[in-house]
Amino acid sequence: MTGPRFDRYDWAGGRETMLRFGPDAGPLVVAVLPLFEEANRTRAFLVEMLRALARRGIGSILPDLPGTGESVIETRDLRLPDLRQAFAALVGTLDVPVYAVTIRSGALVDCDASLAGRWRLAPQSGDELLRDLNRIRAASTMPDAERYAGSSLSEALLADLRDAVSYAASRTVRLESDPRPADARYAGAPLWRRSEPGSDATLSDTLAADIAGWIATCGG
Amino acid sequence: MLVIFEGTSQVETTVRAVLADILGLSAERVAAFTDDTPLFGALPELDSMAVASVLTELEDRLGILIEDDEIDGEMLETFGALVQFAARKALV
Repeated sequence: MTGPRFDRYDWAGGRETMLRFGPDAGPLVVAVLPLFEEANRTRAFLVEMLRALARRGIGSILPDLPGTGESVIETRDLRLPDLRQAFAALVGTLDVPVYAVTIRSGALVDCDASLAGRWRLAPQSGDELLRDLNRIRAASTMPDAERYAGSSLSEALLADLRDAVSYAASRTVRLESDPRPADARYAGAPLWRRSEPGSDATLSDTLAADIAGWIATCGG
Repeated sequence: MLVIFEGTSQVETTVRAVLADILGLSAERVAAFTDDTPLFGALPELDSMAVASVLTELEDRLGILIEDDEIDGEMLETFGALVQFAARKALV
């Protein structure tokens, strides 16, 4: 098994950082965190999932998309088409079958990429995300027109999100508490809504097993 | 009447589960909540950001929509008030 390591990738707007887990050969998972605050709440959990995938012999990449993570692009300059383009550019450099694994609004990012499949945990549409952002802003004790849960977002980005829908999933997985349609449901708490970031080793391992089984049936 | 009672108790179970999951409270602690247990202002975990998360999660689990102008201090004052509010939305 190969340990986690940093790497870089290029897209039309510059160079970004990415984390790699597991083997370079064979089918590869490229994972996408949710946008904004939910990314902070689920990052440790997603990394745990990718480590569990590596234990099953499946390599993965967790890219910092432009305007997120270590990216030098400011959050206020973040635009959805750039996220999509950067993700597609990264996938385009990989010469193995690539499977997208997305959490929540990460589902909005992978539509321009050429992928062997799309696996989604509790996908969130653009208008649902906007509703969440507006509610958090309204609940804030210091309402500020441009700040959403600590992030400065541009009008242009909010307009991007208003109509954003995700590319159809090959497999959708939800928590047992979520009544919407799903291919599989697992027990666990919605970590993306917890104020204190946490993880869930049982759930991350269960989801990694689900992804590995799905990739195997896709013929990856 | 029995149907309404059963519906309310199901909503109550959901509200308990949402508070436990979102605020990271233990199942024992949440199980001990009564109608009079104070919430907003009494639970340090329930800050304004957490209020937004709790309400959105209730929407998802109960299949309801809560309008922003329906959100006030009263509905979050006690556990009983929150259950009543959620039941009114879910059982119409």
